[in-house]
Amino acid sequence: MSDVVLNNIGKTYPNGYHAIPSIDLTIEEGEFIVLVGPSGCGKSTLLRMVAGLETISQGDLMIKGAKVNDKEPADRDIAMVFQNYALYPHMTVYANMAYGLKNRGESKEVIAEKVTSVANMLGLEELLERKPKQLSGGQRQRVAMGRAMVRDPKVFLFDEPLSNLDAKLRVQMRVEIRQLQRKLGTTTLYVTHDQVEAMTLADRLVVLNKGKAEQIGTPMDLYNKPATPFVAAFIGSPSMNLIGANLDEQGIRLSQDLHLPLVHQHRGSVVWGIRPEHLDVVDEQNADFALRIQAVESLGAETLIHGTVDLGVKQEPIVVRLSGPHWPEINSLLWLKAPMEHWHVFDAVTQQRL
Amino acid sequence: MSVYFPHKKLPYLLVLPQLVITLIFFLWPAEQAFEQAFYQEDAFGLSREFVGFDNFVYLFNDPQYYKSIWVTLVFSFSVAFSGLAIALWLAVMADRVIRGKLTYQTLLVWPYAVAPALAGVLWWLLFDPSMGPVALWLQYFGVDWNHFLNGDQAMTLVVISATWKQISYNFLFFLAGLQAVPRSLIEAASIDGASPFKRFWTIVFPLLSPTTFFLLVINLVYAFFDTFGVIDATTQGGPGVSTATMVYKVFNDGFIGLDMGSSAAQSVVLMFLVGVMTVIQFRYIERKVEY
Amino acid sequence: MIENRPWLTFISHFSLLLGIGVVALPVWVALVASTHPSSAFGAGEIPLWFGDQALENWRSVFLGEASSGVDVPVWYMMLNSFIMALGITVGKLFISLLSAYAIVFFRFPFRGACFWVIFITLMLPVEVRIVPTYEVVANLDMLNSYSGLILPLIASATATFLFRQCFMTMPGELIEAARIDGAGPIRFFFDILLPMSRTNIAALFVIMFIYGWNQYLWPVIITTDDAYYTLVMSIKRMLAVDQGDIEWNHVMVTTLLAMIPPVAVVIGMQKLFVKGLVDAEK
Repeated sequence: MSDVVLNNIGKTYPNGYHAIPSIDLTIEEGEFIVLVGPSGCGKSTLLRMVAGLETISQGDLMIKGAKVNDKEPADRDIAMVFQNYALYPHMTVYANMAYGLKNRGESKEVIAEKVTSVANMLGLEELLERKPKQLSGGQRQRVAMGRAMVRDPKVFLFDEPLSNLDAKLRVQMRVEIRQLQRKLGTTTLYVTHDQVEAMTLADRLVVLNKGKAEQIGTPMDLYNKPATPFVAAFIGSPSMNLIGANLDEQGIRLSQDLHLPLVHQHRGSVVWGIRPEHLDVVDEQNADFALRIQAVESLGAETLIHGTVDLGVKQEPIVVRLSGPHWPEINSLLWLKAPMEHWHVFDAVTQQRL
Repeated sequence: MSVYFPHKKLPYLLVLPQLVITLIFFLWPAEQAFEQAFYQEDAFGLSREFVGFDNFVYLFNDPQYYKSIWVTLVFSFSVAFSGLAIALWLAVMADRVIRGKLTYQTLLVWPYAVAPALAGVLWWLLFDPSMGPVALWLQYFGVDWNHFLNGDQAMTLVVISATWKQISYNFLFFLAGLQAVPRSLIEAASIDGASPFKRFWTIVFPLLSPTTFFLLVINLVYAFFDTFGVIDATTQGGPGVSTATMVYKVFNDGFIGLDMGSSAAQSVVLMFLVGVMTVIQFRYIERKVEY
Repeated sequence: MIENRPWLTFISHFSLLLGIGVVALPVWVALVASTHPSSAFGAGEIPLWFGDQALENWRSVFLGEASSGVDVPVWYMMLNSFIMALGITVGKLFISLLSAYAIVFFRFPFRGACFWVIFITLMLPVEVRIVPTYEVVANLDMLNSYSGLILPLIASATATFLFRQCFMTMPGELIEAARIDGAGPIRFFFDILLPMSRTNIAALFVIMFIYGWNQYLWPVIITTDDAYYTLVMSIKRMLAVDQGDIEWNHVMVTTLLAMIPPVAVVIGMQKLFVKGLVDAEK
């Protein structure tokens, strides 16, 4: 049974600003959905509409089959983890976790039992009598999750919960969140702007751009078959190399002198793309084009080579990713081949994948 | 903050008590003052007649009123400048000392809690012409001190009393301001070879200017309105009208002279002045919020 | 400081001690004056060391046996001062917490109008509109009453303004978290807002108490019945005799008694008071 259904959901602000035109999304029970996109793309607005913190301007929001558009956040059977954790500073960890249950009128014994069991699960037993300001960032993060978990909600909502942690802790908490969600089996909606976080956590991703869902799919779908140049550029690091080109009888024409053979019935301007890791270094005679090297970033396990390709009218920047250490000379030429099976071609007008 | 509770009636209920109090005890009297400023009332309050702007015309042709404006300006600026200067000196000294800072602070802040009227009485005793120790000491040095007869001396006494009470307030703000000056700036300046004296005038004092400006406004407001008790308890505006400030005159003309029309007109002028000061103050506060 | 200059340190301590001495001088003289018999002040010079009448003076003034131009004893006026000061403090805190809560956490029609009606009073003290306010209170039949002493002085927006500043710094996510936890506006107010503002409330309590206790002009004007006299204003009555007849020893006992409660509050709660004063105004 589908758990959360967003049917033609839209948001228009009182000042007339169309934040989200229309979004359809069906989330299955136990699924981990990540909403990802650059800042201002509407991902937080969408999450807050599901939470009930923003009014829904159009469409229906269903949780477990019931329409909840006009229900108070507390009555929607959801729980939320905020970016700044939003722990009540004057309450102990125990009181923070118990507050929602108390407002719901649960008995003292039930509250104590639930809080203790969640605290055990998260390793917070020792901290229950502390105040939030006596905790480290990671501990606060855990308390915020604990507060969401004791409510035993139908849906977990996360609003960039890891963005205030340092890089190392972020990786650790990411793994922990994923394990917990698997264990509890609770449907989860998670907002982030970090594509690595999105790729590693999600069962399915929703890539949002300017209030529109560019693509919905599994991480590998999005990596292998991005629907639009935006998704192509957003997923993967470093970003996919995207070059404006023309499609004619001979194939992809990058410039007057440079074309890559392809048989396709489409004609007109296209965006041609290939990921940095899919470019191969070859001999001059097997190469598709040459890269003038400008900068080399050696990371040990891999090497990123930044340079430009001469397309006559312009110098197009290109990044190549090679495994292992390499030491090419700056300003020298690197001959590259772009294998056809790794090409991504988009219609430049409709921005759709061909 | 952009998060609100979606309730329609509750907020009205919440602001109601304050609105009611404000309407009854603030807006209604203010409106009455405006109205009365255009009427002439007889001394028994039995009848009144509409006189248009006569009260204002009379007021601004009255040399006594200009005298009270002058008295107010002399009094307020004397209080503000001496209060700020002494407090700044003490705060800089207290900021320098390492040991006993809190003790010094404690021994300097308590006059804040003394009512202005009591401050006036305390200093009166010291300066009483017939037996006050300071007055007798001054007489010994040939100063013929009698603030009941000499207007300038009366002014000096009320300025001293009012300043004495305000030093603690200014001191606390200056000390907080000084402690907020980043140490790295002072250290950089001393590496650049600036002496403590030069450091103060070129680095610390400019950084204190927002605090100083804020305190100047607050001190002027204090001297305008909150010092009524000082004047009433010690000199009652006298001798003659040499310490009758504008606020004192409003009270005196209204309750002693029973000239309600003139008193109301003076209230209106004062309200206008306060309005201007509030705007200045508000600008300052809003700017601070932006920082 | 950065360099060690003994003479500067000496000047610092010397200045501070001098400042403390000058600031304390009038109180010292008052204390001394309160220990002498009335006759000591006719001699043309105030004694500069303590006399032997301390107990008698303080006792007779406190219990109202000394003639003072007021028919009620000092302890009774002290009680009145407490009632007025606490009334003003509690009243101000009550109405300003509620209205600041409404203005910061709700959006409603005429919110702006309410805001301006309240904040127009921000710096306009009762002294400026003294005559019409007196008439309004007389019309409402509140002369010589505690409500007449208290209510008009509550009508000021200072506390509202400070609470508004304080509430506005509260993170929005906290309110959202509370809503998800099922707390409505009333619960939020009592469970979260009040406990989180308790330092500010306490600091304002100190400041408001001093403000209330030290009221002078307003009680002078609206009380003609000795039963409602407050301690600070009674000084005016005690001084309203011919200059030679002022009983300075009794006046000084009364003055010191009127100073003790607010000064004790400031010194006892200094940390809170300083924080409240400096943080609130900044």
